[in-house]
Amino acid sequence: MTRDVALEAEVQRIGRALAQRFPSPARHPLRALDQRAMRLASEDEQIRAALFRLVDVTPATHSVDDLARHLIGYLEEISERPPSLDTALKISDTAPGRAALGTATTAAVRHMAHRFIVGESPSAALADIAALWRHGIAVSVDLLGEATVTPDEADRYAERCHDALETLAEAAGRWPERRWLERDSAGPVPRVNLSVKVTALTPLMRPQAPHLGRDDAAGRMRPLLRRARELDAHLHVDMESLDSLETTIELVLGLLAEPEFRRGPSAGVVVQAYLRDSPAQLDRLLEWAAATERGSPLVVRLVKGAYWDQEVIEARQHGWRPPVFERKSECDRNFELLTRRLLDARPLVRVKVGSHNLRSVAHAIAYSRLGGGADADLELQVLRGLGDELAEALRAERLRVRSYCPVGDLVAGMAYLVRRLLENTSNDSFLRAHAHGAPVEELLAAP
Amino acid sequence: MSFANEPTLELRRADARDRLLVALDDLDNRLPLRVAPVIGGERGASEGFESTDPGMPARVIATAGRADETDAREAVEAAARGFREWGRRPAARRAECLRAAAASLRERRPELAALQVRECAKPWQEADADVCEAIDFLEYYGAGAVELERGPKLTQVPGERNSMRHEPRGVAAVIAPWNFPLAIPTGMTAAALAAGNAVVLKPAEQSPASAFALVEALHEADVPANALNLLPGFGDAGAALVRDPRVHLIAFTGSSAVGLEIVRAAAETPADQAHVKRVIAEMGGKNCILVDSDADLDDAIPAIVASGFNYAGQKCSAASRVLVHEAVAEALLERLAGAVEALVVCQAERFETDVPPLIEREAQERLRRCEQRAERDGRLVTRRSELPAPGWFAAPGVATDLPPDSALLREELFGPLVTVEAVGSIEAALEIVDSLPFALTGGLFSRNPATIERVVGRAPVGNLYVNRAITGAMVARQPFGGNRRSGTGTQAGGPGYLQQFAEPRVVSENTMRHGLVTEPGTGSDGG
Repeated sequence: MTRDVALEAEVQRIGRALAQRFPSPARHPLRALDQRAMRLASEDEQIRAALFRLVDVTPATHSVDDLARHLIGYLEEISERPPSLDTALKISDTAPGRAALGTATTAAVRHMAHRFIVGESPSAALADIAALWRHGIAVSVDLLGEATVTPDEADRYAERCHDALETLAEAAGRWPERRWLERDSAGPVPRVNLSVKVTALTPLMRPQAPHLGRDDAAGRMRPLLRRARELDAHLHVDMESLDSLETTIELVLGLLAEPEFRRGPSAGVVVQAYLRDSPAQLDRLLEWAAATERGSPLVVRLVKGAYWDQEVIEARQHGWRPPVFERKSECDRNFELLTRRLLDARPLVRVKVGSHNLRSVAHAIAYSRLGGGADADLELQVLRGLGDELAEALRAERLRVRSYCPVGDLVAGMAYLVRRLLENTSNDSFLRAHAHGAPVEELLAAP
Repeated sequence: MSFANEPTLELRRADARDRLLVALDDLDNRLPLRVAPVIGGERGASEGFESTDPGMPARVIATAGRADETDAREAVEAAARGFREWGRRPAARRAECLRAAAASLRERRPELAALQVRECAKPWQEADADVCEAIDFLEYYGAGAVELERGPKLTQVPGERNSMRHEPRGVAAVIAPWNFPLAIPTGMTAAALAAGNAVVLKPAEQSPASAFALVEALHEADVPANALNLLPGFGDAGAALVRDPRVHLIAFTGSSAVGLEIVRAAAETPADQAHVKRVIAEMGGKNCILVDSDADLDDAIPAIVASGFNYAGQKCSAASRVLVHEAVAEALLERLAGAVEALVVCQAERFETDVPPLIEREAQERLRRCEQRAERDGRLVTRRSELPAPGWFAAPGVATDLPPDSALLREELFGPLVTVEAVGSIEAALEIVDSLPFALTGGLFSRNPATIERVVGRAPVGNLYVNRAITGAMVARQPFGGNRRSGTGTQAGGPGYLQQFAEPRVVSENTMRHGLVTEPGTGSDGG
């Protein structure tokens, strides 16, 4: 049996084992959101657009009547309305009708938001986070916020990050031991894990001048790194759209190479597999890691990337070649390629694989095991609200899984929420396929 | 007509930026450039005045020959001769020349962008976009001329044959500004040439070198020497062109004061002038952005900042006045002020620059007076301790609490100053927009389809932008031009623009003789 065949067999075996632990499609979380709305949304482009615009505007409306009027506007733009939506339009002719409609909408949007957003602040989210830990699932906290357009806003975001680190560190001391979540071959894995966004740390993000945002964000990032080291917390710098990629990479690699941070803290960056240039980006990270001595290895989180639509649309508007793979199969193949390269690069880097795609996750586990890696040397990540079932299945297999938990109020969380909904009702979505009951062979097929 | 715009450079990639810096270095080694009047293919002297770098006024970018009234007369004379040849060429051949000129500009893109960085202190991204727009105009109008020559469909009935065609007008005087130093001269020149006219181009005295590059490219692309003449110089040369009775058409982009003067002067019809001059004028604006209570300020603020402060607000489309719903006014003002204070005011050649220096000393002084007025009449909510030197820099500012009759709320400022007013409703904002004599661009931030529809119905502006920045019109995507005192209501880079440069002629022939249709088949709808 060649290596490829052995790998494929192992992928299938692990994938099926995980799939068996999934709840049936009928109990899939997407159903629980708002079954009918999500089904309509994923089947009709116009309804999908209307739903997203509604979710997006909800926190900015000043009364239920105002919200209902927005809803009416969106529904009227749908050329062929299903009867249920027509009914909604009819009752909106009167003020009491609009009040009912607006109230119901607010409740539905809040319900939806709470599946993705853990709490309004880190302290409000502590109970849920601790419960996950006790259950055997680690957490990375992501602070949602409005866009940063001023230096004050960047300062406030940095302050919130400091507060979150303190709050989480203080609480984490009381959590019970969960050995497979807090230790790998390289040593201890911090319990506290905070995700940070560079676009929130500076108002000077300029795609054509990456040094500007890098230098401005560095001034706020250094104190954060110091605090994280003192508190033994991990800082993970998220990746957003391509416009901020160069700034982000230069910032992180530059700071972590400074003598002050050679001994810590644990920190990481992200590689987005949907980018055509991602193999070269990984080269750059690995070369840096090989050339830079640090107390704690660089952590690399591999994800597909969450800005696909935006990247494609912006590129088309400018007449540029889209920077992302346009076919799902190309992207999935690249994901697996990068997974293998990352796993082979251990112990130079610590590896996290963030995906809801059962095939991609099974592939990572299988490749790691076939290469003789310990399960502890691979971390798997899911998004809160979307990957909960996968997390549960991975936990049951005693794999280290971390749930990415956004924290913040509804207004600040809207951009995040809409992106997540968009991603998961798209035709390419693994979750959508699963929710629609696609057979396991299809879900696990090699890309 | 399907059309694809020339793609701008992807400046987020380091290699694209490096190529531009190499081009800038090359240019610097060749300074000063020499620009001569070009009349009937003859080049005059290239001394008389200079264009200088607004960021380093001691640096001379070009020395140029200064065309006078005699030159203007001779250029019109040459153009009249050139028209006889050029105007007879079929549209397809004229389009070929324009396409060839576009190709040569494309080859020189980094160099032409570098020239704008130096001559007009245009930051790279905008300089590159300007060169792309020039290329777009050449290709768009070339293709448009071929389409125009086919003529529109008219209704046909039995026994009658109707047709319509467009003939060139004759000599076109093109008077161009410095703020889009290649795109705007190219747009007006290309439209005039595409429609079959001969051209005398008078570029702004601040930017003769970009116009010179255009004329060279067109001549190399087989536009006859006489059909395109260049008059670098000042207002006297432009005024002489406007007055010349042999000029048929004046295409102008610039200030309202000069534009209205041209409209008046062109209306003079001396006895020996056998035509009425056509004026195509694009003038100033007082462009408002309306922000409703349901707007996403995360989107609105960066868009306002880009619209008001890119290229230091020196665009006729730039945002000048923000009318914001009182429910979000305080938040908007605070965030906008913070964002504007954070803008990078620096030399155009630096990639991080948000706000470059203004074009000249007079502009800097004018903006300083506006700033003082804002502090006297209302409140300037932005602070900036120092500005770079040398260069004609002005601090980007946001003013508020201005009385309704303040000149700052009525006049075009053409610099990096934006005013903010709270309004009770979008209706109140529309009243204000309606009270202005200008109607060029406008913006709206709202997420309510009913509000958007209402504003679309009532805003008089030539270009309304919804939930996006209000500058950066693209050829064929956002035909551009204003109404009221902002212009003559034609839209550049759109359908219908070329017709302005041509005169329509209709022929209706009786094809029935003694009850017999002499040309069978003419009863159907031909064209």
